[in-house]
Amino acid sequence: MSSQQEPPPGQVRRYTAAYLSPGWLLLLGVVILPLLLGLWISFRNGSLLTPTSEFVGLENYRDLLTSSAFWDSVKVTLIISILSLAIQLPLGLLLAIVVNRELRGTRFFRSSLLMPLLLTPVAVGLMWRLMMNVDNGVIDGTLEMFGLPAIDWLGDRTMAVVSVVIVDSWQNIAFVMLLMLAGLQALPVSPLEAAQVDGANTFQKYRHVILPLLAPVALVVVMIRIIESVKLFDIIYILTGGGPGTATQNLSLLDYRLGFTFLETSRAAALGVIITLLMFPLYRLWKKANP
Amino acid sequence: MTHNGTRLGRIAAYAILGIATLAALFPIYWTLLTSLRTRVAIFETPPRLFGGELTLDNYRTVFADGQFQASLIITIVVTVLATLIAVVSGSFAAYAIARRPRFRTRRPFEGMMILVRAMPGIVIAVPLFQIVVGLGLYDQPIVLAITYAAINLPFAVWLMVGFISGIPVELEESARVDGASQFRILRSIILPLVAPGLAATTIFVALLCWNEFLMPLILADQAGKTLPVYIAGFVTSRTIEYGAMAAAASLAIIPIAIVTLLVQRQLVRGLSLGAVKD
Repeated sequence: MSSQQEPPPGQVRRYTAAYLSPGWLLLLGVVILPLLLGLWISFRNGSLLTPTSEFVGLENYRDLLTSSAFWDSVKVTLIISILSLAIQLPLGLLLAIVVNRELRGTRFFRSSLLMPLLLTPVAVGLMWRLMMNVDNGVIDGTLEMFGLPAIDWLGDRTMAVVSVVIVDSWQNIAFVMLLMLAGLQALPVSPLEAAQVDGANTFQKYRHVILPLLAPVALVVVMIRIIESVKLFDIIYILTGGGPGTATQNLSLLDYRLGFTFLETSRAAALGVIITLLMFPLYRLWKKANP
Repeated sequence: MTHNGTRLGRIAAYAILGIATLAALFPIYWTLLTSLRTRVAIFETPPRLFGGELTLDNYRTVFADGQFQASLIITIVVTVLATLIAVVSGSFAAYAIARRPRFRTRRPFEGMMILVRAMPGIVIAVPLFQIVVGLGLYDQPIVLAITYAAINLPFAVWLMVGFISGIPVELEESARVDGASQFRILRSIILPLVAPGLAATTIFVALLCWNEFLMPLILADQAGKTLPVYIAGFVTSRTIEYGAMAAAASLAIIPIAIVTLLVQRQLVRGLSLGAVKD
């Protein structure tokens, strides 16, 4: 269009490089160097208890990949991903559909629904610990009021996983709702009009037109929720600390415990490398979703 | 896409909205209420969902040793610094990305943004701890600020790319024809037009920094004890003081609740970012 008005290419290249340099500097110091150092540490037998370390090759990787702790935490991470998707995908979609109707008062409802999403995760963990606690929690208190048995939300191995999923969902359903809402608002009008002309009822319109069109958004939600389940740290740390035992220890928590509870730096670094590699398909998927 | 729907459909929609809103707000309400109750009232069974004698004792407990105040100041300082670093460096990078479709480091830079956004913080934290301790920089708020800035850089970059792309490139070109320098174009044309976007980005990144927990947990101790680390201390202590815990949680969430109500639209934009295209 206006190529003759562009500044000389030398100048352009110079300022492009200059503009990216603060960003690269940050990434270099906080991300790239640590990742490289992590890779190097992972081939040694360093720990915070001993000052020296030596090269041990792939020993840390072998130990990790043959340990039940690693596979248990992979399992916990997957279970949390699947359960939270099973709750958040349908409920997030339902809320998006309802909010999208723009009934009177929607602004108030939407603000209220968004609030959990923005709260400090640590505070969210505390709030739910308060409510789920078995001595005087309001949830068990209410259950007992109706003659129902109290539930040991955080002390029982199965319920602890469910509790983590409940709290994670409480905080993040609004995120799914926002993505679905954006998807609904970006729907092309013509297929909907065609359905209208064909006399489709609301249910049929959703079943045969809207939901299929929302599939790409749902895929993005699935991808992000899996990533977030691996990253999930604050809420688990506060709510259960990964327990009881290792019942809620996802990959992030296991890595934290290896590095900073058991002080096995090299093994923690090796797990970090494994996590980074495990997530590679997800990075690629993300890149595809945002060309 | 709005549809009128039947009366029954409207009632169902309101029922869903009502239940969901109740579920979203009740834990916040309950925390605030607990924070204002006496020890006896907190242990009352069955729980009273409202009313009862209220007290500020729990807040007095929280304020008593001065750590809350210290943590509040640290959190503000680190958040301001980190946000400044992230937004400034993110904006420059975003300008290059928005205005120059092709350059050599574009793909690696964008790849890094996705990596940083998707990778668990703990993966970086393990070796970063070694570096920070090795350099004698453990427990330094400035290290926290730089770390937060880097891990939140993708949000700053992606948001700003969206805003800068919205400014017609012809404005810059005509200024350039008139002989304006690059600096002058940035200051007099881009900056005023992108100001609302810059504000939205700043608010969103500041919120993320305010909430950050893992990095200060690992990279700092006393001098860098931010609010999330401080309030997390309420569960690790041997005797759990529910009243004080609720007060601490309330103090952490009240400012966010207010900010949310004031600038919701800007935050919404940041939240769905990197997930859906504009």
